[in-house]
Amino acid sequence: MSEQVPQLLDSLRAKAERGELLYIGENIVRVDSLEKVLGSPVYTADLLPKGTVYAKLFHSTVPHGVVKRIELGAARSHPGVLGVLTSKDIPGLNESSAVLLDRQLFADPIVRSTGDILGAVVAETSPAAADAAARIKVEYDRMPTIFDPLEALEPDAVKIHEEGNVAKQMKIRKGNVEEGFVKSEIIIEKTYRTQFQDAIPLEPEVGLAIPEDGGVRVIGSMQSPHNTQAAVAKVLRLPPEKVRVIQAVTGGAFGPKSDETPYDVCSTAALAAVKFRRPVYCGMDREDSMVMHTKRHPFVISHKTGVSRDGMLLADESMIVGDTGAYASLGVFVIARATFHTVGAYEVPNVKADSYLVYTNNTYAGSLRGFGGPQATFAFESQMEELARKLRMDPLEFRLRNMLVPGKKNATSAVMDASCGLPQCVQKVVESSRYREKVARYSNQAGSLRRGLGIALLMHGNSLGPEGNDYGAVHVEIRSDGSVSVGSGLTEYGTGAISGLMQIASSVLGVPLARFKLERPDTSKHRESGPTVASRVVVIGGNASKAAAEKLKSKIVPVAAELLRVDAKDVAIADGVAFDRTHPSRTVQWDDVVAEAYRRGISLKEEGFFMAPPAPWDHEVGQGTPYVQYTWGALIVEVEVDTDTGYYRVLGAHTAYDVGKAVNPGGVLGQIYGGTVQGLGYAMMEELLHKDGVVVNPNLGDYYIPTSMDIPAEFKAFIVEVPGPLGPFGAKIIAEPPIILPGPAVRNAVLNATGVSVDDLPVTSEKVLMGMKGPAARLG
Amino acid sequence: MTKRVITLSVNGTDHPIQVDATDRLIDVLRDQVNQKSVKEGCSTGDCGICAVLVDGRLVNSCLMLAAQCDGRRVTTLEGLLEDPTMKRMQGNFIANNAAQCGFCTPAMLMASWDLARHSAHPSDEEIKVAISGVLCRCTGYYQIIDSVREGCRRE
Repeated sequence: MSEQVPQLLDSLRAKAERGELLYIGENIVRVDSLEKVLGSPVYTADLLPKGTVYAKLFHSTVPHGVVKRIELGAARSHPGVLGVLTSKDIPGLNESSAVLLDRQLFADPIVRSTGDILGAVVAETSPAAADAAARIKVEYDRMPTIFDPLEALEPDAVKIHEEGNVAKQMKIRKGNVEEGFVKSEIIIEKTYRTQFQDAIPLEPEVGLAIPEDGGVRVIGSMQSPHNTQAAVAKVLRLPPEKVRVIQAVTGGAFGPKSDETPYDVCSTAALAAVKFRRPVYCGMDREDSMVMHTKRHPFVISHKTGVSRDGMLLADESMIVGDTGAYASLGVFVIARATFHTVGAYEVPNVKADSYLVYTNNTYAGSLRGFGGPQATFAFESQMEELARKLRMDPLEFRLRNMLVPGKKNATSAVMDASCGLPQCVQKVVESSRYREKVARYSNQAGSLRRGLGIALLMHGNSLGPEGNDYGAVHVEIRSDGSVSVGSGLTEYGTGAISGLMQIASSVLGVPLARFKLERPDTSKHRESGPTVASRVVVIGGNASKAAAEKLKSKIVPVAAELLRVDAKDVAIADGVAFDRTHPSRTVQWDDVVAEAYRRGISLKEEGFFMAPPAPWDHEVGQGTPYVQYTWGALIVEVEVDTDTGYYRVLGAHTAYDVGKAVNPGGVLGQIYGGTVQGLGYAMMEELLHKDGVVVNPNLGDYYIPTSMDIPAEFKAFIVEVPGPLGPFGAKIIAEPPIILPGPAVRNAVLNATGVSVDDLPVTSEKVLMGMKGPAARLG
Repeated sequence: MTKRVITLSVNGTDHPIQVDATDRLIDVLRDQVNQKSVKEGCSTGDCGICAVLVDGRLVNSCLMLAAQCDGRRVTTLEGLLEDPTMKRMQGNFIANNAAQCGFCTPAMLMASWDLARHSAHPSDEEIKVAISGVLCRCTGYYQIIDSVREGCRRE
């Protein structure tokens, strides 16, 4: 035993004696890390039973039209093919929609995008299924198309859905913007645009269905197994209990795996499994995934913003248009979050925002890390930079004057309370980046290489807010051998959040995490807990985990008290040892306490449940309190631009997030690093391109994501802890926020280095060069 | 299509395997030799998460035909689980939170182990180059780079 172990035990015991929680704030070893470094067969594609056959989806090749005929003969007669599924093979509802019921599983007869799925070929091998699918010919009557979201809003526009092209409309009304503009001495009006981003989870969407017990067992890569169960059951016309859905270890998700694509692959596999009485694997390859799953919505955001000459924001009027493509998916909530964040982390006394989620014939958009935050924040932080320049004021000073601090009101008129840690975040990044010194140095540069700093600040509402009831259930069971198993309908897909739930239960019980086992989320075992989205596992599920563990502790402590012959109030448990707080040398092992509880027939299985308090939003008035608490953040990046070519690099990134309480600091840093780099991809290089509705770069050779060569050489991340009212121990969410700030920070840094405003993401070198040299610099 | 029998040496064991001319190395490794650590992320050689060693060189197994490997030595993560350098690397990945979703982790470990064989004190730039063929979407690479730096150091 190393010397550190007894020391660690002593410190844990001291904590337990003081009644403090043991492991919160400690770097933990994630419960799932061993299987990952061993390359264990735990992902869906690793779990195919013998005799599995393969389903390959085929999709529309036109962006809008009526399917006249699908010629299946050549596919059916292809060697190895069991059959082809189309809408005619669906016994239940031909539906695969997460929110509005506007989307079919297999489009029939109207296709509204080239991502619309028409059916699937089922064959003995994966290549046979793909070869056969390539032989399918579809005849269409083409219909007129719209690819520009602003065009979709025009009154005489082609209707993509019968109800019209606006899937969701939102507004904010705070104060009186007209009066605010009258008082303003400077007014700027600008329009900003963002692009389609693809999440690129390294494991694409995959599902396996195995026929059993008059129903199916489905194993897949997904965020929300209970939603998938409901979707599959509807398609198969089975009662939900005949569809058992188990989430396999999931190789990244980032949003689209909470939307329809897991329904699509799992429903298709399940349909085929029932029809052919075989296990069926429906796995998307990268191209399928990039064409058929939801992406980040492109937005067109116009701001008219007024300030006084001394740099106080007085009024902002915005029009926010999100292109959801052919289907609404989660876009109805994405547009809401974007609207609530329209003026971001700043107090503006008069705000008017009107937002529209519109249909086009592009492939559809939905959930992606940040969920409307990246678009809204790009637009307003860009606007802030333009205002600072017009005011001839330092961009940091301008922000400091207007940023939210306790007592100020955001756009929805929610009053910021003491849990607002934005000032501390700003202070950290300003110091770390040596902002003032560098700004002074870079104010006078010669030569072709120019440096600049860019800053962006973050407010990010926690919890689902008006998106729906925000609840979660966690089951904790102490087994007779003293081990503890934790299960939930909430899922792990890479962030480590589920380890966080277990860390919380571990701290409450006083049992080391090494004794914990994670149950795979399984609809036959775990209670429906809403979708695993919005980074809500630790904040919402964490409270449920804490509640379950506390119930168990109240059963265990009396048993330990009897064994120790002390009063229950004097019992503490630390690191798997129960002891008498007043005489710490009197101990009894956790395992012995558990064994005694079992002998007495005490049930050691409990469920904890937590629901966030309501977050009222008055849709008519356009005001309310849509979030229970907020995560705060700041990012400063430094770029170096080659003014001869437009090529630029991000040299350094300094970032800080107020996470309330970092339950597992190493995991928090992992989210900050990973989210920031994914955000740098969005800022600098990522753009899924449609040409006449066809995705032209659905592969990783033409759609670039950051490699290890693309990350800033200097990266400083800081954790700020100002406890919030919602999460356990004051925890706030962190998985999504770090993707939001790189877009505007990079854009603003390039502007400060070169004087070039790039108002449409991504900030490519070509756009920078065109900004300096004019349109003749366009490539190609 | 005519099948032929090749001999594939995987982690030191010879496997006689019947293959089609078009069978990819990744499929043969996963389906016939049960090497499930080999992951497929793009099928076009861009993401690198199918990386294995063939005769000691790191390759994308989705771009290599099984028939090209007749008589050659293939090494996967499964074959290095007892290797001290690999164990050290894995321990660092765990300690530094360098595996999030875990889907790139086996290939990342293969690239890191390959670097560790050649360099005991790589610079951060050398580490970035060594793992640049493997994409990771979760970590932003920093905690991986920390793990590799420590993992390359020989005792």
